[in-house]
Amino acid sequence: MRRHGWWLTLLVLGLCSAAQAEEKKFKACFIYVGPVGDIGWSYAHDEARKLALKELPWLETQYVESVPEGQALPVIDRLVKGGCKAVFTTSFGFMDQTLEAAKKYPEVVFAHATGFKRAPNMATYMADFYQLYYLNGLMAGALTKTGKVGYVAAFPIPELKRHISAFALGVRAVNPEATVNLKWINAWVSPTKAREAAEALMAEGNDVLAFTEDTATVVQAAGRKKVPVFAHYSPMYRFSPDFVVSGQLVHWEKIYIDFLKKVREGAYAPGKLQDVDYWWLLHEGAVELGTQPGMPINPKWVDALKKAQMTVEGKPVSVHDRVMALLKDMSSSKPSFDPFQGPLTDRQGKARVPAGKGMSIQELNQMQWVVPGVVGPVADEPQ
Amino acid sequence: MTEEVLQALLRALSFGTPLLLATLGGIVNERAGVVNLGVEGMMAVGALAAFGLASASGAWPMAVGLAALLGALAALLHGFVTLTLRANTYVSGLALSMLGLGVSGLLGKPYEGAFLFESAPELPFTLAAGGLAVLLWGVLFFTRPGLVLRSVGENPAAADALGIPVLAVRYLAVAFGGALAGVAGAFLSLAYQPAWTDGMTGGLGWIAVALVIFSGWHPLRAVLGAVFFGLLYYLQFRLQSQSQVPTELFAAMPYLLVVGVLALAGVRRSRGAAPAALGRSYQRGER
Repeated sequence: MRRHGWWLTLLVLGLCSAAQAEEKKFKACFIYVGPVGDIGWSYAHDEARKLALKELPWLETQYVESVPEGQALPVIDRLVKGGCKAVFTTSFGFMDQTLEAAKKYPEVVFAHATGFKRAPNMATYMADFYQLYYLNGLMAGALTKTGKVGYVAAFPIPELKRHISAFALGVRAVNPEATVNLKWINAWVSPTKAREAAEALMAEGNDVLAFTEDTATVVQAAGRKKVPVFAHYSPMYRFSPDFVVSGQLVHWEKIYIDFLKKVREGAYAPGKLQDVDYWWLLHEGAVELGTQPGMPINPKWVDALKKAQMTVEGKPVSVHDRVMALLKDMSSSKPSFDPFQGPLTDRQGKARVPAGKGMSIQELNQMQWVVPGVVGPVADEPQ
Repeated sequence: MTEEVLQALLRALSFGTPLLLATLGGIVNERAGVVNLGVEGMMAVGALAAFGLASASGAWPMAVGLAALLGALAALLHGFVTLTLRANTYVSGLALSMLGLGVSGLLGKPYEGAFLFESAPELPFTLAAGGLAVLLWGVLFFTRPGLVLRSVGENPAAADALGIPVLAVRYLAVAFGGALAGVAGAFLSLAYQPAWTDGMTGGLGWIAVALVIFSGWHPLRAVLGAVFFGLLYYLQFRLQSQSQVPTELFAAMPYLLVVGVLALAGVRRSRGAAPAALGRSYQRGER
């Protein structure tokens, strides 16, 4: 009897721990549009995935990279068959296929980055940069001597128009005559195009550069010609420590961890996601100003920005102080400042945002117009 | 104004350098009768190899050598499949492109986001490419080895009858083409954008494939072609917002020109200067 007891205890213990292990893990899967090594968009999502993995011991993950837009569905099929309980699709072009998959697999939780379509089991999320672009614009406006700021732009979609406009508003808040000059490369990752576009901008006399492209090419090209530049998306300080002034950093993990916790707790069970839309900014910590974490402004450029003056409500302020003050304000729970506060007109002169009003998330997400000061062709611009 | 022109020309030379290197390689292997569509893949392999070695040792000339070696090895794989196994040249070349991009992406993972503190200067590459064009022109048209190479591409049966080792010549030419594609890749990751990014060749290899045809398989015309294509590439950005011509047209121009040249050659009922046996495998006794 005694011997049997031992065996039984062991068996029960074994079964329990097996059941526990079974219950422990939750599988979340990620679909990336680019290679995880692009040093930009997909890289940032994958870094966030790793951080979520570290933070949530019950989580297991899988990812598929370089999935062409329009081919997400078969990948989702495979992942769901492989046991994925939550699927994150991280490109605008995956939107409709994610929706289709959400209908096909009602028991799986879906979340789509940067889109606007939702379902009972499909949420949307975005960590947006427009506040940071305004701050970078202030610094760019202070640093340009020619009054020409160059911008290497990926695609003329609302997201970029929003960011370029916020950037231009910042530039002009310091230097009302300055322009933001665009070069479109029609690619998310293309070092050769980004390089030649940057060279063309510098040849045209732009003496400060910013960009949306997923490599550090523009930072390197600007650094070689000793032109101040604003980094994009990932820590690019090391690519040009003397000439990167500031930039935008993303922390998708803040969203992933929050979302997955709530899925685990049952708050975000399938059927409860119709209205779940993350639009996380500075306050939520989803984005950060700077060229690398913890460095909002490159120390080498602080003096120049302290010397530069601008006028805020009739009083002279240094650009550096203005940036820091707004950064603090916009990081607070109730920001009093928003870059897109009215009155605003588009560059054709048409009134877009009335005085005292701001823009809704939906309006920001569907923004097709750009503000005055933006120079260059802009596709789908309302006339 | 002159400064503008000079600036544009400098960009054309910079961007044209990898194009010229890869194109010269393509001219040599096509003059021997072998088509290799794997340029993009060989470039990617060269770019990664050079970057890996340069970031470890800092010695970029050695890195260029390694890129050439690996480019040549990749090309020999294509040579083995098409020359010895006599498989379809075009499919094999396409496969090599994909393979090169895939393998470099995979092995390049640890280098993603890395960059070189000391980038290699662009000028030596540009000068070497230009010098090589002149040298190849001389060798191809005025020396016996050049004649041998061309005869293998024009009429392998006749060359064989004369005692020329057709297969060996083709293998050598293919390896040479691969080596130059590798060096073109090295230029990209050591000098042009001294960093490693998956997919950093960005379609340059395909432009080089087009340039081989555009240049009429002539090394000196390849120089003009590379500079011209480089200029077009730069102008698609430089002229944005300043001209009424859509810049997409500039982006498409290299390919439009190639199509135009081929169409013209077709109208004239000839294949232009294309080697007569281009893309056809040769086996003794077969016609």
